[in-house]
Amino acid sequence: MNIMLNDAPFDFSGETLKDLLDSLGKETKGIAVAIDQRVVPKSLWSNTELNEQSQVFIFESIAGG
Amino acid sequence: MSSFFIAGHEFHSRLFTGTGKYASADAMMASLAASESELVTLSLRRMDLKHQTDNILQPLQQHGIKLLPNTSGARTAKEAVFAAELAREALETNWVKLEIHPDPRYLMPDGVETLLAAEELIKKGFVVMPYVHADPVLCKRLEEVGCQCVMPLGSPIGSNMGLASRPFLEIIIEQSAVPVIVDAGIGAPSDAALALEIGADAVLVNTAMAVAKQPAQMGKAFRLAVEAGRIAYESGLGEKRVQAQATSPLTEFLGALS
Repeated sequence: MNIMLNDAPFDFSGETLKDLLDSLGKETKGIAVAIDQRVVPKSLWSNTELNEQSQVFIFESIAGG
Repeated sequence: MSSFFIAGHEFHSRLFTGTGKYASADAMMASLAASESELVTLSLRRMDLKHQTDNILQPLQQHGIKLLPNTSGARTAKEAVFAAELAREALETNWVKLEIHPDPRYLMPDGVETLLAAEELIKKGFVVMPYVHADPVLCKRLEEVGCQCVMPLGSPIGSNMGLASRPFLEIIIEQSAVPVIVDAGIGAPSDAALALEIGADAVLVNTAMAVAKQPAQMGKAFRLAVEAGRIAYESGLGEKRVQAQATSPLTEFLGALS
């Protein structure tokens, strides 16, 4: 299915938010996820199902002052 | 040199540091180690899906440095609250450096939005460290709504102009019942020493250390400057006066020769 990931269309073959993060192969330490403008706690990533309407934003920690 | 507390957390170092603008993670860690800083700031951004970002979290955590996420990029209270909630999830801390600056040209903090966001974040259980203009009235208001410290600017972010706001910082320090951390604009170790000499509890330094030709050496210079400034403050500086006052006793013992 197609979801919106960080404001761009993204072809996604899994079901849950955790599936999405696994498919990206990114370090999950220091990241946060919001779906439809709501922060999703890490403890709910495995249970959060995505659908065609999902607007997913993934944020990462970077250097800053 | 005495320690101090923010929200019950004891800090032995009075030098807080940012992590931006370093040429590499290694240079950053060498500088932070030399500075003996116990708290560093970090930012959040949308993940770059095409490139791997340098992992700076791991070395910072291995070094035992407390992480302070900021809300940089937020232009309103609403955006800042959202950024803080993301940061709490990402870095597993309820501490946040609240910064809201709508105009990227000057990066001046928006005091009205900052106060609104601080109230909201404190209700949500955050330890709020607000970055603000050196405004004594606003700093008192932020303290009254429950901020655990205030972070007035010395001069614009990254400007290296030092304590341009000194007269107002002195009023803030005199009035404040929470720690005062001078943030932004500190361009040289002497600026940091001055901030501590006039009674600031700590300073936050980033650009001056990160862009130095020798970041590790500069980290050490800031560590020493902050220690000197604090020790001078605790020792009690003498008053300034216009007229000279002799250091040696004027006994006129040569009077007979004239």
